Amino acid sequence: MRDAFEKSSAGQAEAEAVERLLGETEAVRSEIRRAAASVDWETLPSVIADRAMAERGGALARSVTPGLRGWPFVFLMKPALAGLAAGLVVGAVAMYLALRGPAVPQNRDDAYYASGDFLDRAELELARRNTLDYLEKSQYVLLDVFESADRGAIVPAALRSERARDLLQKKKYLNAQLGTVRMAKAKALCDQIEMLFLELAQVDEELPAAELAKLRSYVEERQLLLKINLVRKELESGV
Amino acid sequence: MSDVSAVREAGAADIASLLERTQAGDGEAFKTIIRLHQQKVFVLAYSIVRDREDALDVVQETFLRLYQKAGRYRPGHSFQAWLMQMAKNISIDHYRKHLKKRREWETATPLEEIPVPAAPAREGDSASSDLRAAFSRCVETLAERQRMVFVMRHYSELQFHEISETMRISVGTAKSLHFKAVQNLRKRLAPILGVEP
Repeated sequence: MRDAFEKSSAGQAEAEAVERLLGETEAVRSEIRRAAASVDWETLPSVIADRAMAERGGALARSVTPGLRGWPFVFLMKPALAGLAAGLVVGAVAMYLALRGPAVPQNRDDAYYASGDFLDRAELELARRNTLDYLEKSQYVLLDVFESADRGAIVPAALRSERARDLLQKKKYLNAQLGTVRMAKAKALCDQIEMLFLELAQVDEELPAAELAKLRSYVEERQLLLKINLVRKELESGV
Repeated sequence: MSDVSAVREAGAADIASLLERTQAGDGEAFKTIIRLHQQKVFVLAYSIVRDREDALDVVQETFLRLYQKAGRYRPGHSFQAWLMQMAKNISIDHYRKHLKKRREWETATPLEEIPVPAAPAREGDSASSDLRAAFSRCVETLAERQRMVFVMRHYSELQFHEISETMRISVGTAKSLHFKAVQNLRKRLAPILGVEP
């Protein structure tokens, strides 16, 4: 009798424990309801549809010249980018020639003379400088956006969107370099900034207040300006 | 257009036809699909990533992917399950990426720069908030499939047959994973719940 009673009390305690446990999920459900209530569901479909159409438009434009598809064509179209690439190639060749040093005998002991380590460090240094430059320019654009909203349009919207597009181009070039493991944090930050520039690049007119508030809250919630400062400091003091 | 009217519109229109029109570049058809499903996708995404902005990113990415793959939908199959599969996969990618980023920041950010969490809503309710915090942490530590089934069932409030379609598993497997998830949570939270492990 006592055993049965004990078993029944244990079962009841067990059921209560599971019930209490599952009760905790209600807190999350109400958190989700609050978050869902704060979303503007009326405008979201248009935002997504516009983005989808824009991306399809871009894809179609790229597919018009299939023979010229790929990065060499990008360079043909963008003189500045082509110049930058040419500079990099010349720099890389010059560095290779400078570092190669005098011809060394084909001795196994000397095979490490053209140090892979050194080349890795050079690549990292290049990535570091380019990232610093990207972050600095991004910071200016972000500050421009918010300051022009606070004080009236200081920077014309078309120019701002042009700058955003330039930075998006630069980011594409940076992506390969940022893949380096030691640059993972900077890459994460640059990816977040890129999302913002994707929005900005599509706006050629003055931003509506609601859109601006959304962008501002994106920047503030993710503390992007603070993070840019921190990553810049970190990069300036060496990766 | 409100969600209710969008649902009515879709009640009349076939999803396959909406997708066909979307594929042909009809923006309105695409918007109708988004209106119909955006909240469900958001709830699933939020359940997994637990961040409003990340969940909105997932919603956008899911529908952008749908736009690209609209032609791959096979009529006769559950559209919602297909869409939710996409949303689930994107959410998991987002979650993993976010976790990685968070860990990187946590290891690199000096103590004084770590944002202070908001104070609990009610003071003097520390036992309850301890359980809440421990519960959230324990859910994060569940094996991925158990966690997915648990959050879909309890946060997104999906039925087991919906979970099974979204995860491409049988209903029995979904129930079994759910049972294991509850057992593991109960075991890990036994000291706080005041029961035997």
